Amino acid sequence: MRRSGDITARLLWAAGLLVLGVVSVYVALPVAIAFVMSFSGGQILRFPIQSWSLRWYADFFGSPQYVDALVNTLVIALGATVLSVAAGTASAWAISRRKNLATGALTLLHMLPLFVPGVVLGLGIAITFGNVRLFGMDLYGTRFIVMLAHSLWGMPLVMMLMETTFRSLDRQVLEASRDLGAGPFTTFREIVLPEVRTAILSSALFSFVVSVNEFYMALFLTTRDTQTLPVLMWLSLRSAGSPRLAVAAVVLMTIVLVSLVLLASGLRRKERVRG
Amino acid sequence: MTDARRRRTGEALGFWLLLAPSLLLLVLVFARTVAGVVRMSFNGWTPPSFYVEDVVLDHYVRLATDPLIREAAFNTVVLAFQAALTSVVLAYVMTLIVWLRPKRFRLTVIGLMLCPLLASEISIIFGWWLVLPRNGLLSYMLVGSGLVSEKINLLYTEFAAFLGLVYAILPYSFFILLSVMDRQDRLLIEASADLGASPLSTFREVVLPLTWRGVVLAFSQALIWAFGIYATPSALGPDTLWTMGQRIQEEMIGRANWPLASAIAVAMIAAIALLLVVMRTVEPKERTA
Repeated sequence: MRRSGDITARLLWAAGLLVLGVVSVYVALPVAIAFVMSFSGGQILRFPIQSWSLRWYADFFGSPQYVDALVNTLVIALGATVLSVAAGTASAWAISRRKNLATGALTLLHMLPLFVPGVVLGLGIAITFGNVRLFGMDLYGTRFIVMLAHSLWGMPLVMMLMETTFRSLDRQVLEASRDLGAGPFTTFREIVLPEVRTAILSSALFSFVVSVNEFYMALFLTTRDTQTLPVLMWLSLRSAGSPRLAVAAVVLMTIVLVSLVLLASGLRRKERVRG
Repeated sequence: MTDARRRRTGEALGFWLLLAPSLLLLVLVFARTVAGVVRMSFNGWTPPSFYVEDVVLDHYVRLATDPLIREAAFNTVVLAFQAALTSVVLAYVMTLIVWLRPKRFRLTVIGLMLCPLLASEISIIFGWWLVLPRNGLLSYMLVGSGLVSEKINLLYTEFAAFLGLVYAILPYSFFILLSVMDRQDRLLIEASADLGASPLSTFREVVLPLTWRGVVLAFSQALIWAFGIYATPSALGPDTLWTMGQRIQEEMIGRANWPLASAIAVAMIAAIALLLVVMRTVEPKERTA
């Protein structure tokens, strides 16, 4: 009885490890291969790779169109992050201080945009704000409209993360601070903010990465001048499948990795300060 | 008395002031957008203008009768279900392994699953473009190893679309399941084994019931994400494989038929809302041991 159980357990475990191995290769393959191909010296995409060079990196950074797209991507992502973190943290703070039916409904309201596909939001914002002018400028096609669009996804993510964090704070410390005469702003700045720095940084990273990679809304909302890197890559995918696209993919992944590393070092510094 | 009242008013004011930025975003951008799409879907269409102010049901009639749109809806639903189911099964196996042997696998597997989450969908599409075609890596490796004698092409097949879609939603299933799995007590498995249960019955009687909620949650979330993704099936699948999202893009940008594009969008929102309601009713209550 016990023996047969052992054998089944081993077989199951082996099968599980096999699945894990196959999925690992599957997950790593497209990312790794884009990375390798970006160093190819050839004109076309084929295997085996004949020669190695950095020419496609030179080509990428020498192309005004791609560099502009890169700048657009970064500017839009930074703007969307600022909007998302500011709005999301403020709501999370307000909602976390109370617990009743209304805050439940408010939380749900904040979540709603996450359930709407990017293509629907992109189309909707394009038709709704297509002819809206702000300060004498057409809103459509600007980076600002894409920032707003991306904050529809960034803000709820920040909100969720920050609400859980705020709720885990020690309420007695907050009350003590108030009893000692600190106003709400002082309490927030002196007591709350140092406690939740990690969460704020992480949620900022979340919304930044979401915006950098987002493609559907950006496709509907940008023009040739404001298009982001994923949009430009998509538009050149069928016409010119060159190693330049591999470089673009690597650049996007590098942006994400660099922000991850920045976050990690930010966190480490905090630990050192405390320890 | 007045002091207490003043403080309460102050707190209420602060509450709404703090909520103001996100509420402005939700009302001025999100709600207006959804309302705009719904309104647009009832407008008339006379090319070459994008739309004509009107209240007609033409586009909803087309939604129900146009074979192209029906086919796109069918493809979207079938693809999304297949991909969501596959992603949940794969993610379940992986989270189970991570949960049983955290020391050995946890960090590696989490790092690995961050790949599809942190890479842009378009970068991944490009990656598959290097792997799947006749001159791609897969064909090269299979021929090189002698497993097949002729070059094979997988690009522009339904399998490629499926492969790409599973890739895009796998991390969501994984992280949802992991968070549910992490809350369970591993000692339960040992207890079950000590009481003489076989690994399979331990799984069926103990592990699966405890994590079933996560399975339902991961499946519905993966399904919703899969509904919205169309770049992957469009770039990797055959030209005949139209999805709802791609139809929206085609009607909006290709044919400048804004009302029809909006009607398809409304149908998508309705489908997702329906899905959420259904999931909410079948969703089991959280079980803790």
